[in-house]
Amino acid sequence: MGYIEGIMISACINIVCVAGLAILTGYTGLFSMGHACFLCLGAYTAGILTKFFGVPYLIALLIGGGVAALFSLIIGIPTLRGKMSADCFTIATFGFGEATRVVMANINHPYVGGALGLSGLNTFTTLPKAIVIAAIAVYFARNYAKSQHGKLAIAVRDHADASELIGVNIFHEKLKALAISAFFCGVGGGMMAHYYTYIVPNIFGGTMSTNLLTAVVLGGVCSVTGPVLATSVLTATPEVLRFLSNWRLPMYGLVLILTMRIRPEGLMGYKELSIRPVVRWFQKKAGKHGRDKEVHHGSFGN
Amino acid sequence: MALLEIKQLSIHFGGVKAVQDVSFSVEEGDFIGLIGPNGAGKTTVFNAVTGVVPPTNGTIYFDGHKINGMRPDKISHLGIARTFQNIRIYPKMSALDNVAIGLDSHASYHTVSAMLGLPHVRRRDEEIRKTCLEFLEQVGIVQYKDTEAGSLPYGLQRKVEIARALATRPKLLFLDEPAAGMNTAESLELVSFLQELHKNTGIAIVLIEHHLEVVMEVCKNIHVLNLGQMLASGTPKEIQKNQDVITAYLGKRRNRHDGE
Repeated sequence: MGYIEGIMISACINIVCVAGLAILTGYTGLFSMGHACFLCLGAYTAGILTKFFGVPYLIALLIGGGVAALFSLIIGIPTLRGKMSADCFTIATFGFGEATRVVMANINHPYVGGALGLSGLNTFTTLPKAIVIAAIAVYFARNYAKSQHGKLAIAVRDHADASELIGVNIFHEKLKALAISAFFCGVGGGMMAHYYTYIVPNIFGGTMSTNLLTAVVLGGVCSVTGPVLATSVLTATPEVLRFLSNWRLPMYGLVLILTMRIRPEGLMGYKELSIRPVVRWFQKKAGKHGRDKEVHHGSFGN
Repeated sequence: MALLEIKQLSIHFGGVKAVQDVSFSVEEGDFIGLIGPNGAGKTTVFNAVTGVVPPTNGTIYFDGHKINGMRPDKISHLGIARTFQNIRIYPKMSALDNVAIGLDSHASYHTVSAMLGLPHVRRRDEEIRKTCLEFLEQVGIVQYKDTEAGSLPYGLQRKVEIARALATRPKLLFLDEPAAGMNTAESLELVSFLQELHKNTGIAIVLIEHHLEVVMEVCKNIHVLNLGQMLASGTPKEIQKNQDVITAYLGKRRNRHDGE
Protein backbone atom coordinates (compact mmCIF):
# COMPACT_ATOMS: atom_id res chain seq x y z
CA MET A 1 0.00 0.00 0.00
CA GLY A 2 2.78 2.36 0.92
CA TYR A 3 4.38 1.75 -2.45
CA ILE A 4 1.28 2.64 -4.46
CA GLU A 5 0.70 5.60 -2.16
CA GLY A 6 4.22 6.78 -2.86
CA ILE A 7 3.69 6.66 -6.60
CA MET A 8 0.44 8.54 -6.24
CA ILE A 9 2.06 11.26 -4.16
CA SER A 10 4.84 11.58 -6.75
CA ALA A 11 2.21 11.85 -9.46
CA CYS A 12 0.39 14.58 -7.52
CA ILE A 13 3.63 16.54 -7.13
CA ASN A 14 4.29 16.21 -10.85
CA ILE A 15 0.74 17.26 -11.61
CA VAL A 16 1.20 20.50 -9.68
CA CYS A 17 4.40 21.29 -11.59
CA VAL A 18 3.06 20.29 -14.98
CA ALA A 19 -0.14 22.32 -14.54
CA GLY A 20 2.09 25.40 -14.29
CA LEU A 21 4.43 24.36 -17.06
CA ALA A 22 1.46 23.78 -19.37
CA ILE A 23 0.75 27.51 -19.19
CA LEU A 24 4.33 28.35 -20.14
CA THR A 25 4.93 25.72 -22.81
CA GLY A 26 1.48 24.66 -23.94
CA TYR A 27 -0.13 28.07 -24.05
CA THR A 28 2.62 30.65 -24.40
CA GLY A 29 4.88 28.41 -26.49
CA LEU A 30 8.10 28.83 -24.52
CA PHE A 31 10.23 25.78 -23.88
CA SER A 32 12.11 25.57 -20.64
CA MET A 33 14.89 23.07 -20.05
CA GLY A 34 15.52 24.12 -16.48
CA HIS A 35 12.32 24.15 -14.53
CA ALA A 36 13.77 21.73 -11.99
CA CYS A 37 15.63 24.70 -10.54
CA PHE A 38 12.30 26.24 -9.53
CA LEU A 39 11.38 23.01 -7.77
CA CYS A 40 14.76 23.19 -6.10
CA LEU A 41 14.22 26.77 -4.93
CA GLY A 42 10.71 25.98 -3.73
CA ALA A 43 11.86 22.82 -1.98
CA TYR A 44 14.69 24.52 -0.11
CA THR A 45 12.62 27.56 0.82
CA ALA A 46 9.71 25.53 2.13
CA GLY A 47 12.01 23.03 3.82
CA ILE A 48 14.05 25.68 5.63
CA LEU A 49 10.91 27.52 6.67
CA THR A 50 9.22 24.52 8.24
CA LYS A 51 12.38 23.06 9.76
CA PHE A 52 14.04 26.12 11.24
CA PHE A 53 11.24 28.64 11.58
CA GLY A 54 8.27 26.45 12.31
CA VAL A 55 6.21 27.96 9.52
CA PRO A 56 3.00 25.99 8.77
CA TYR A 57 3.24 23.63 5.82
CA LEU A 58 0.82 25.32 3.44
CA ILE A 59 2.21 28.79 4.03
CA ALA A 60 5.72 27.45 3.51
CA LEU A 61 4.61 25.97 0.18
CA LEU A 62 3.18 29.30 -0.94
CA ILE A 63 6.31 31.19 0.09
CA GLY A 64 8.41 28.58 -1.72
CA GLY A 65 6.35 29.17 -4.84
CA GLY A 66 6.74 32.91 -4.43
CA VAL A 67 10.51 32.65 -4.14
CA ALA A 68 10.65 30.48 -7.26
CA ALA A 69 8.51 33.02 -9.13
CA LEU A 70 10.82 35.85 -8.03
CA PHE A 71 13.88 33.98 -9.25
CA SER A 72 12.15 33.27 -12.54
CA LEU A 73 12.15 37.02 -13.14
CA ILE A 74 15.95 37.00 -13.04
CA ILE A 75 16.02 34.71 -16.02
CA GLY A 76 12.88 36.06 -17.66
CA ILE A 77 13.51 39.78 -17.75
CA PRO A 78 16.69 39.66 -19.83
CA THR A 79 15.73 36.77 -22.11
CA LEU A 80 12.11 37.50 -22.92
CA ARG A 81 12.58 41.17 -23.70
CA GLY A 82 12.50 42.58 -27.19
CA LYS A 83 13.08 40.43 -30.23
CA MET A 84 15.10 37.68 -28.54
CA SER A 85 14.17 34.35 -30.05
CA ALA A 86 12.48 31.66 -28.02
CA ASP A 87 15.57 29.46 -28.44
CA CYS A 88 17.61 31.95 -26.40
CA PHE A 89 15.14 31.52 -23.60
CA THR A 90 15.39 27.72 -23.75
CA ILE A 91 19.18 27.81 -23.63
CA ALA A 92 19.16 30.35 -20.83
CA THR A 93 16.79 28.26 -18.71
CA PHE A 94 19.04 25.26 -19.25
CA GLY A 95 22.03 27.22 -17.98
CA PHE A 96 20.08 28.73 -15.13
CA GLY A 97 18.83 25.31 -14.07
CA GLU A 98 22.31 23.85 -13.90
CA ALA A 99 23.72 26.97 -12.24
CA THR A 100 21.09 26.92 -9.50
CA ARG A 101 21.85 23.30 -8.74
CA VAL A 102 25.60 23.90 -8.52
CA VAL A 103 25.20 27.04 -6.45
CA MET A 104 22.93 25.24 -3.99
CA ALA A 105 25.48 22.44 -3.70
CA ASN A 106 28.13 24.95 -2.74
CA ILE A 107 26.27 26.96 -0.15
CA ASN A 108 27.57 25.44 3.06
CA HIS A 109 25.36 27.42 5.34
CA PRO A 110 23.80 25.11 7.97
CA TYR A 111 20.32 25.98 6.70
CA VAL A 112 21.13 24.78 3.19
CA GLY A 113 23.66 22.06 3.85
CA GLY A 114 25.66 22.22 0.63
CA ALA A 115 26.03 19.02 -1.35
CA LEU A 116 24.79 16.97 1.61
CA GLY A 117 21.45 18.67 1.33
CA LEU A 118 18.71 19.39 3.77
CA SER A 119 17.55 16.49 5.87
CA GLY A 120 15.26 15.74 8.76
CA LEU A 121 12.18 17.41 7.35
CA ASN A 122 8.75 16.40 8.51
CA THR A 123 6.53 14.24 6.33
CA PHE A 124 3.83 16.81 5.84
CA THR A 125 2.94 15.72 2.30
CA THR A 126 0.45 12.96 2.86
CA LEU A 127 -1.67 11.47 0.10
CA PRO A 128 -4.93 13.30 0.92
CA LYS A 129 -3.11 16.63 1.15
CA ALA A 130 -1.24 15.96 -2.09
CA ILE A 131 -4.43 15.09 -3.93
CA VAL A 132 -6.19 18.20 -2.68
CA ILE A 133 -3.28 20.47 -3.60
CA ALA A 134 -2.98 18.87 -7.04
CA ALA A 135 -6.70 19.30 -7.65
CA ILE A 136 -6.53 22.95 -6.61
CA ALA A 137 -3.50 23.52 -8.83
CA VAL A 138 -5.24 22.02 -11.85
CA TYR A 139 -8.37 24.03 -11.11
CA PHE A 140 -6.37 27.27 -10.91
CA ALA A 141 -4.37 26.56 -14.03
CA ARG A 142 -7.53 25.70 -15.90
CA ASN A 143 -9.26 28.90 -14.79
CA TYR A 144 -6.26 30.89 -15.85
CA ALA A 145 -6.07 29.20 -19.23
CA LYS A 146 -9.76 29.79 -19.88
CA SER A 147 -9.58 33.45 -18.91
CA GLN A 148 -8.53 36.37 -21.04
CA HIS A 149 -4.96 35.83 -19.80
CA GLY A 150 -4.92 32.36 -21.34
CA LYS A 151 -6.24 33.70 -24.63
CA LEU A 152 -3.54 36.35 -24.67
CA ALA A 153 -0.96 33.62 -24.09
CA ILE A 154 -2.21 31.74 -27.15
CA ALA A 155 -2.20 34.99 -29.12
CA VAL A 156 1.45 35.54 -28.23
CA ARG A 157 2.32 32.01 -29.27
CA ASP A 158 0.44 32.04 -32.58
CA HIS A 159 1.32 35.47 -33.94
CA ALA A 160 3.59 37.43 -31.65
CA ASP A 161 4.10 40.26 -34.14
CA ALA A 162 0.43 40.64 -35.00
CA SER A 163 -0.53 40.51 -31.33
CA GLU A 164 1.86 43.30 -30.54
CA LEU A 165 0.25 45.41 -33.25
CA ILE A 166 -3.16 45.05 -31.69
CA GLY A 167 -1.85 46.12 -28.33
CA VAL A 168 -0.66 43.01 -26.53
CA ASN A 169 2.45 43.55 -24.45
CA ILE A 170 4.30 40.39 -25.43
CA PHE A 171 7.09 40.71 -22.91
CA HIS A 172 4.60 41.12 -20.12
CA GLU A 173 2.55 38.10 -21.19
CA LYS A 174 5.59 35.86 -21.51
CA LEU A 175 6.99 36.97 -18.17
CA LYS A 176 3.64 36.37 -16.50
CA ALA A 177 3.49 32.83 -17.89
CA LEU A 178 7.03 32.14 -16.71
CA ALA A 179 6.39 33.46 -13.21
CA ILE A 180 3.20 31.41 -12.89
CA SER A 181 4.89 28.22 -14.06
CA ALA A 182 7.75 28.89 -11.65
CA PHE A 183 5.28 29.42 -8.83
CA PHE A 184 3.55 26.10 -9.48
CA CYS A 185 6.90 24.33 -9.71
CA GLY A 186 8.01 26.00 -6.48
CA VAL A 187 4.94 24.69 -4.71
CA GLY A 188 5.59 21.26 -6.21
CA GLY A 189 9.15 21.43 -4.94
CA GLY A 190 7.94 22.24 -1.45
CA MET A 191 5.63 19.24 -1.54
CA MET A 192 8.49 17.07 -2.71
CA ALA A 193 10.74 18.23 0.13
CA HIS A 194 8.12 17.28 2.69
CA TYR A 195 7.51 13.93 1.07
CA TYR A 196 11.12 12.76 0.71
CA THR A 197 12.03 14.54 4.00
CA TYR A 198 15.50 14.84 2.58
CA ILE A 199 16.61 16.91 -0.40
CA VAL A 200 19.95 17.22 -2.14
CA PRO A 201 20.64 19.62 -5.02
CA ASN A 202 21.53 16.77 -7.37
CA ILE A 203 17.99 15.43 -7.70
CA PHE A 204 16.93 18.72 -9.34
CA GLY A 205 18.91 18.04 -12.49
CA GLY A 206 18.26 18.11 -16.19
CA THR A 207 16.38 14.80 -16.08
CA MET A 208 13.67 16.27 -13.89
CA SER A 209 13.29 19.29 -16.18
CA THR A 210 13.10 17.04 -19.20
CA ASN A 211 10.50 14.81 -17.57
CA LEU A 212 8.27 17.79 -16.90
CA LEU A 213 8.69 19.08 -20.43
CA THR A 214 8.01 15.62 -21.85
CA ALA A 215 4.70 15.47 -20.03
CA VAL A 216 3.60 18.81 -21.46
CA VAL A 217 4.66 18.04 -25.02
CA LEU A 218 3.13 14.57 -24.89
CA GLY A 219 -0.01 15.78 -23.17
CA GLY A 220 -0.69 18.45 -25.71
CA VAL A 221 -0.57 22.17 -26.30
CA CYS A 222 -3.40 24.43 -25.21
CA SER A 223 -4.56 21.91 -22.67
CA VAL A 224 -4.15 21.59 -18.92
CA THR A 225 -5.76 18.24 -18.38
CA GLY A 226 -3.80 16.64 -21.23
CA PRO A 227 -0.37 17.23 -19.66
CA VAL A 228 -1.79 16.35 -16.24
CA LEU A 229 -2.94 13.01 -17.59
CA ALA A 230 0.35 12.49 -19.38
CA THR A 231 2.42 13.14 -16.27
CA SER A 232 0.30 10.73 -14.23
CA VAL A 233 0.94 8.04 -16.80
CA LEU A 234 4.61 8.94 -17.12
CA THR A 235 5.08 8.77 -13.35
CA ALA A 236 3.47 5.36 -13.13
CA THR A 237 5.01 3.67 -16.18
CA PRO A 238 8.65 3.72 -15.04
CA GLU A 239 7.53 1.88 -11.92
CA VAL A 240 5.80 -0.76 -14.00
CA LEU A 241 8.73 -0.88 -16.39
CA ARG A 242 11.37 -1.10 -13.66
CA PHE A 243 12.97 -4.08 -15.44
CA LEU A 244 13.86 -1.85 -18.36
CA SER A 245 15.90 0.30 -15.96
CA ASN A 246 18.06 2.62 -17.99
CA TRP A 247 16.24 2.02 -21.25
CA ARG A 248 13.49 4.24 -19.91
CA LEU A 249 15.21 7.41 -20.96
CA PRO A 250 15.79 6.42 -24.60
CA MET A 251 12.18 5.33 -24.69
CA TYR A 252 11.11 8.77 -23.47
CA GLY A 253 13.07 10.22 -26.33
CA LEU A 254 11.43 7.86 -28.79
CA VAL A 255 7.96 8.69 -27.48
CA LEU A 256 8.71 12.41 -27.83
CA ILE A 257 10.00 12.10 -31.37
CA LEU A 258 7.01 9.98 -32.37
CA THR A 259 4.64 12.53 -30.81
CA MET A 260 6.23 15.37 -32.71
CA ARG A 261 6.15 13.41 -35.98
CA ILE A 262 2.68 11.95 -35.74
CA ARG A 263 0.77 14.40 -33.58
CA PRO A 264 2.68 17.65 -33.16
CA GLU A 265 -0.07 19.23 -31.08
CA GLY A 266 0.28 16.43 -28.48
CA LEU A 267 -2.12 13.68 -27.53
CA MET A 268 -4.76 16.06 -26.25
CA GLY A 269 -3.81 19.25 -28.00
CA TYR A 270 -6.55 21.89 -27.88
CA LYS A 271 -8.73 19.51 -25.92
CA GLU A 272 -9.71 19.28 -22.30
CA LEU A 273 -11.06 16.37 -20.37
CA SER A 274 -14.35 17.36 -18.84
CA ILE A 275 -16.93 15.59 -16.76
CA ARG A 276 -19.78 17.65 -18.15
CA PRO A 277 -20.75 15.16 -20.90
CA VAL A 278 -20.76 12.33 -18.38
CA VAL A 279 -23.11 14.32 -16.18
CA ARG A 280 -25.24 15.12 -19.21
CA TRP A 281 -25.25 11.45 -20.12
CA PHE A 282 -26.58 10.52 -16.72
CA GLN A 283 -29.22 13.21 -16.98
CA LYS A 284 -30.22 11.88 -20.37
CA LYS A 285 -30.33 8.38 -19.01
CA ALA A 286 -32.63 9.56 -16.25
CA GLY A 287 -34.77 11.15 -18.93
CA LYS A 288 -34.80 7.76 -20.75
CA HIS A 289 -32.84 9.00 -23.71
CA GLY A 290 -29.91 6.63 -23.54
CA ARG A 291 -26.90 7.58 -25.58
CA ASP A 292 -23.46 6.13 -25.96
CA LYS A 293 -21.07 7.05 -23.25
CA GLU A 294 -18.46 9.46 -24.44
CA VAL A 295 -15.57 11.31 -22.99
CA HIS A 296 -16.13 14.79 -24.18
CA HIS A 297 -13.27 16.63 -25.78
CA GLY A 298 -14.51 20.15 -25.53
CA SER A 299 -12.62 22.65 -27.61
CA PHE A 300 -11.03 25.32 -25.51
CA GLY A 301 -13.11 28.29 -24.63
CA ASN A 302 -15.99 26.38 -23.18
CA MET B 1 -3.62 69.52 -36.35
CA ALA B 2 -4.11 66.48 -38.48
CA LEU B 3 -4.77 63.10 -36.89
CA LEU B 4 -1.70 61.57 -38.47
CA GLU B 5 1.11 63.67 -39.75
CA ILE B 6 4.02 62.04 -41.56
CA LYS B 7 6.89 64.39 -42.29
CA GLN B 8 9.81 63.55 -44.57
CA LEU B 9 9.71 59.90 -43.67
CA SER B 10 12.69 57.88 -44.88
CA ILE B 11 13.31 54.22 -44.19
CA HIS B 12 16.51 52.57 -45.32
CA PHE B 13 17.38 48.90 -45.00
CA GLY B 14 21.14 48.94 -45.34
CA GLY B 15 21.68 50.39 -48.80
CA VAL B 16 18.07 49.93 -49.89
CA LYS B 17 16.09 53.12 -49.69
CA ALA B 18 12.64 51.63 -49.21
CA VAL B 19 10.96 54.94 -48.47
CA GLN B 20 12.36 58.38 -49.15
CA ASP B 21 11.05 61.75 -48.02
CA VAL B 22 7.43 60.77 -47.95
CA SER B 23 5.10 63.27 -46.31
CA PHE B 24 1.36 63.14 -45.99
CA SER B 25 -1.29 63.62 -43.40
CA VAL B 26 -4.58 62.01 -42.50
CA GLU B 27 -7.43 64.05 -41.09
CA GLU B 28 -10.13 62.68 -38.84
CA GLY B 29 -12.74 60.85 -40.85
CA ASP B 30 -10.56 60.66 -43.95
CA PHE B 31 -10.55 57.76 -46.35
CA ILE B 32 -7.20 57.68 -48.03
CA GLY B 33 -5.82 55.29 -50.59
CA LEU B 34 -2.16 54.44 -50.83
CA ILE B 35 -1.32 52.87 -54.15
CA GLY B 36 1.72 52.16 -56.23
CA PRO B 37 3.43 49.35 -58.12
CA ASN B 38 4.95 46.40 -56.27
CA GLY B 39 7.88 47.36 -54.09
CA ALA B 40 6.86 51.01 -53.95
CA GLY B 41 7.16 51.02 -50.15
CA LYS B 42 3.49 51.14 -49.21
CA THR B 43 3.60 48.42 -46.60
CA THR B 44 6.88 49.83 -45.28
CA VAL B 45 5.10 53.11 -44.59
CA PHE B 46 2.43 51.15 -42.68
CA ASN B 47 5.13 49.31 -40.78
CA ALA B 48 6.83 52.54 -39.80
CA VAL B 49 3.61 54.12 -38.58
CA THR B 50 2.62 51.04 -36.55
CA GLY B 51 6.08 50.72 -35.02
CA VAL B 52 7.29 47.55 -36.72
CA VAL B 53 10.28 49.19 -38.37
CA PRO B 54 11.99 52.29 -37.00
CA PRO B 55 12.12 55.24 -39.41
CA THR B 56 15.62 56.21 -40.54
CA ASN B 57 14.63 59.84 -40.83
CA GLY B 58 11.59 61.98 -40.44
CA THR B 59 8.88 62.25 -37.85
CA ILE B 60 5.47 60.71 -37.39
CA TYR B 61 2.90 62.48 -35.23
CA PHE B 62 -0.31 60.82 -34.23
CA ASP B 63 -2.97 62.65 -32.29
CA GLY B 64 -0.39 65.05 -30.88
CA HIS B 65 2.15 62.34 -29.91
CA LYS B 66 5.42 61.75 -31.65
CA ILE B 67 5.33 58.03 -32.29
CA ASN B 68 8.54 57.14 -34.08
CA GLY B 69 10.47 54.53 -32.17
CA MET B 70 7.50 53.73 -29.94
CA ARG B 71 6.68 50.09 -29.20
CA PRO B 72 3.92 48.69 -31.44
CA ASP B 73 1.60 47.85 -28.55
CA LYS B 74 1.83 51.40 -27.21
CA ILE B 75 1.08 52.83 -30.63
CA SER B 76 -1.89 50.51 -30.82
CA HIS B 77 -3.19 51.85 -27.51
CA LEU B 78 -2.93 55.39 -28.85
CA GLY B 79 -5.49 54.40 -31.47
CA ILE B 80 -3.90 52.96 -34.60
CA ALA B 81 -5.05 49.56 -35.78
CA ARG B 82 -4.11 47.57 -38.84
CA THR B 83 -4.75 44.44 -40.81
CA PHE B 84 -2.15 42.48 -42.72
CA GLN B 85 -1.46 41.67 -46.32
CA ASN B 86 -1.28 37.99 -45.42
CA ILE B 87 -4.02 37.36 -42.90
CA ARG B 88 -2.75 36.94 -39.36
CA ILE B 89 -5.60 35.72 -37.22
CA TYR B 90 -5.29 33.12 -34.51
CA PRO B 91 -6.37 30.03 -36.41
CA LYS B 92 -7.26 27.77 -33.50
CA MET B 93 -9.34 30.35 -31.66
CA SER B 94 -12.98 31.02 -32.33
CA ALA B 95 -13.84 34.16 -34.28
CA LEU B 96 -15.15 35.65 -31.08
CA ASP B 97 -11.97 35.00 -29.13
CA ASN B 98 -9.95 36.56 -31.93
CA VAL B 99 -11.92 39.74 -31.48
CA ALA B 100 -11.58 39.46 -27.70
CA ILE B 101 -7.80 39.70 -27.99
CA GLY B 102 -8.14 43.07 -29.71
CA LEU B 103 -10.79 44.21 -27.27
CA ASP B 104 -8.98 43.43 -24.05
CA SER B 105 -5.34 43.23 -24.98
CA HIS B 106 -4.14 43.80 -21.43
CA ALA B 107 -6.57 41.52 -19.59
CA SER B 108 -8.56 43.84 -17.40
CA TYR B 109 -8.53 41.66 -14.32
CA HIS B 110 -5.69 40.39 -12.22
CA THR B 111 -3.85 37.13 -12.79
CA VAL B 112 -4.69 35.85 -9.32
CA SER B 113 -8.39 36.61 -9.61
CA ALA B 114 -8.38 34.84 -12.98
CA MET B 115 -6.96 31.72 -11.32
CA LEU B 116 -9.46 31.84 -8.50
CA GLY B 117 -12.26 32.32 -11.02
CA LEU B 118 -13.78 35.14 -8.98
CA PRO B 119 -17.27 36.38 -9.84
CA HIS B 120 -16.08 39.69 -11.24
CA VAL B 121 -13.86 37.79 -13.70
CA ARG B 122 -16.88 35.87 -14.97
CA ARG B 123 -18.86 39.11 -15.24
CA ARG B 124 -16.06 40.78 -17.14
CA ASP B 125 -15.72 37.78 -19.47
CA GLU B 126 -19.43 37.99 -20.18
CA GLU B 127 -19.11 41.72 -20.91
CA ILE B 128 -16.22 41.07 -23.27
CA ARG B 129 -18.25 38.42 -25.02
CA LYS B 130 -21.17 40.77 -25.51
CA THR B 131 -19.02 43.57 -26.85
CA CYS B 132 -17.24 41.15 -29.20
CA LEU B 133 -20.58 40.09 -30.57
CA GLU B 134 -21.30 43.71 -31.42
CA PHE B 135 -18.10 43.94 -33.39
CA LEU B 136 -18.81 40.67 -35.18
CA GLU B 137 -22.26 42.00 -35.94
CA GLN B 138 -20.73 45.16 -37.35
CA VAL B 139 -18.70 43.24 -39.91
CA GLY B 140 -21.56 40.85 -40.49
CA ILE B 141 -20.14 37.53 -39.32
CA VAL B 142 -21.92 37.12 -36.03
CA GLN B 143 -23.23 33.71 -37.11
CA TYR B 144 -19.65 32.38 -37.17
CA LYS B 145 -18.83 33.50 -33.63
CA ASP B 146 -17.92 30.04 -32.34
CA THR B 147 -16.30 28.76 -35.51
CA GLU B 148 -12.58 28.13 -35.40
CA ALA B 149 -11.24 31.17 -37.24
CA GLY B 150 -8.73 29.16 -39.27
CA SER B 151 -11.48 27.07 -40.82
CA LEU B 152 -13.44 30.05 -42.15
CA PRO B 153 -13.22 30.93 -45.85
CA TYR B 154 -10.70 33.54 -46.85
CA GLY B 155 -13.07 36.48 -47.17
CA LEU B 156 -14.53 35.85 -43.72
CA GLN B 157 -11.07 35.54 -42.19
CA ARG B 158 -10.46 39.05 -43.51
CA LYS B 159 -13.56 40.19 -41.72
CA VAL B 160 -12.45 38.55 -38.49
CA GLU B 161 -9.21 40.46 -38.83
CA ILE B 162 -11.04 43.72 -39.45
CA ALA B 163 -13.35 43.08 -36.49
CA ARG B 164 -10.31 42.41 -34.31
CA ALA B 165 -8.74 45.67 -35.45
CA LEU B 166 -11.98 47.56 -34.81
CA ALA B 167 -12.20 46.05 -31.34
CA THR B 168 -9.06 47.94 -30.33
CA ARG B 169 -11.25 51.04 -30.79
CA PRO B 170 -8.91 52.82 -33.18
CA LYS B 171 -9.08 56.37 -34.43
CA LEU B 172 -7.16 55.34 -37.49
CA LEU B 173 -7.37 52.04 -39.32
CA PHE B 174 -4.79 50.79 -41.79
CA LEU B 175 -5.97 48.14 -44.21
CA ASP B 176 -3.19 46.38 -46.07
CA GLU B 177 -4.62 44.91 -49.29
CA PRO B 178 -7.97 43.73 -47.94
CA ALA B 179 -9.06 42.68 -51.44
CA ALA B 180 -5.97 40.58 -52.14
CA GLY B 181 -7.01 37.28 -53.65
CA MET B 182 -10.61 38.35 -54.18
CA ASN B 183 -12.46 38.26 -57.48
CA THR B 184 -14.40 41.21 -58.87
CA ALA B 185 -17.70 40.32 -57.23
CA GLU B 186 -16.03 39.86 -53.87
CA SER B 187 -14.13 43.11 -54.13
CA LEU B 188 -17.31 44.94 -55.04
CA GLU B 189 -18.87 43.53 -51.91
CA LEU B 190 -15.82 44.71 -50.00
CA VAL B 191 -16.28 48.21 -51.44
CA SER B 192 -19.78 48.51 -50.09
CA PHE B 193 -18.67 46.97 -46.81
CA LEU B 194 -15.86 49.51 -46.42
CA GLN B 195 -18.10 52.41 -47.34
CA GLU B 196 -20.67 51.26 -44.82
CA LEU B 197 -18.00 50.80 -42.15
CA HIS B 198 -16.58 54.24 -42.75
CA LYS B 199 -19.99 55.84 -42.67
CA ASN B 200 -21.04 54.10 -39.47
CA THR B 201 -17.87 54.42 -37.42
CA GLY B 202 -16.30 57.61 -38.74
CA ILE B 203 -12.86 56.06 -38.23
CA ALA B 204 -10.18 57.44 -40.52
CA ILE B 205 -9.08 54.69 -42.89
CA VAL B 206 -5.93 54.34 -44.94
CA LEU B 207 -6.15 51.65 -47.58
CA ILE B 208 -3.39 49.93 -49.51
CA GLU B 209 -4.84 48.12 -52.48
CA HIS B 210 -3.88 46.80 -55.87
CA HIS B 211 -7.46 46.52 -57.07
CA LEU B 212 -7.64 50.06 -58.36
CA GLU B 213 -11.39 49.90 -58.92
CA VAL B 214 -11.78 49.43 -55.16
CA VAL B 215 -9.53 52.37 -54.36
CA MET B 216 -11.08 54.69 -56.92
CA GLU B 217 -14.53 53.81 -55.62
CA VAL B 218 -14.08 54.29 -51.88
CA CYS B 219 -11.20 56.72 -51.31
CA LYS B 220 -11.58 60.44 -51.13
CA ASN B 221 -7.89 61.09 -51.60
CA ILE B 222 -5.18 58.97 -53.10
CA HIS B 223 -1.43 59.05 -52.66
CA VAL B 224 0.71 57.26 -55.19
CA LEU B 225 4.08 55.88 -54.19
CA ASN B 226 6.69 54.74 -56.64
CA LEU B 227 10.16 53.42 -55.79
CA GLY B 228 9.82 54.77 -52.28
CA GLN B 229 8.92 58.28 -53.29
CA MET B 230 5.66 60.15 -53.39
CA LEU B 231 4.68 60.37 -57.01
CA ALA B 232 1.33 62.09 -56.89
CA SER B 233 -1.53 62.99 -54.57
CA GLY B 234 -5.07 63.96 -55.34
CA THR B 235 -8.64 62.89 -55.80
CA PRO B 236 -9.34 59.67 -57.72
CA LYS B 237 -10.18 61.67 -60.83
CA GLU B 238 -6.95 63.63 -60.75
CA ILE B 239 -4.93 60.48 -60.19
CA GLN B 240 -6.55 58.70 -63.10
CA LYS B 241 -5.51 61.49 -65.42
CA ASN B 242 -2.04 61.98 -63.95
CA GLN B 243 0.55 61.19 -66.62
CA ASP B 244 3.28 60.24 -64.10
CA VAL B 245 1.01 57.67 -62.47
CA ILE B 246 0.08 56.13 -65.80
CA THR B 247 3.76 55.93 -66.69
CA ALA B 248 4.66 54.30 -63.39
CA TYR B 249 1.95 51.67 -63.75
CA LEU B 250 1.99 50.98 -67.47
CA GLY B 251 5.27 52.40 -68.71
CA LYS B 252 5.64 55.03 -71.40
CA ARG B 253 3.74 54.75 -74.66
CA ARG B 254 6.29 53.95 -77.29
CA ASN B 255 6.13 55.91 -80.44
CA ARG B 256 5.75 53.40 -83.24
CA HIS B 257 7.78 55.44 -85.63
CA ASP B 258 10.75 55.61 -83.27
CA GLY B 259 13.73 53.75 -84.55
CA GLU B 260 12.29 53.11 -87.96
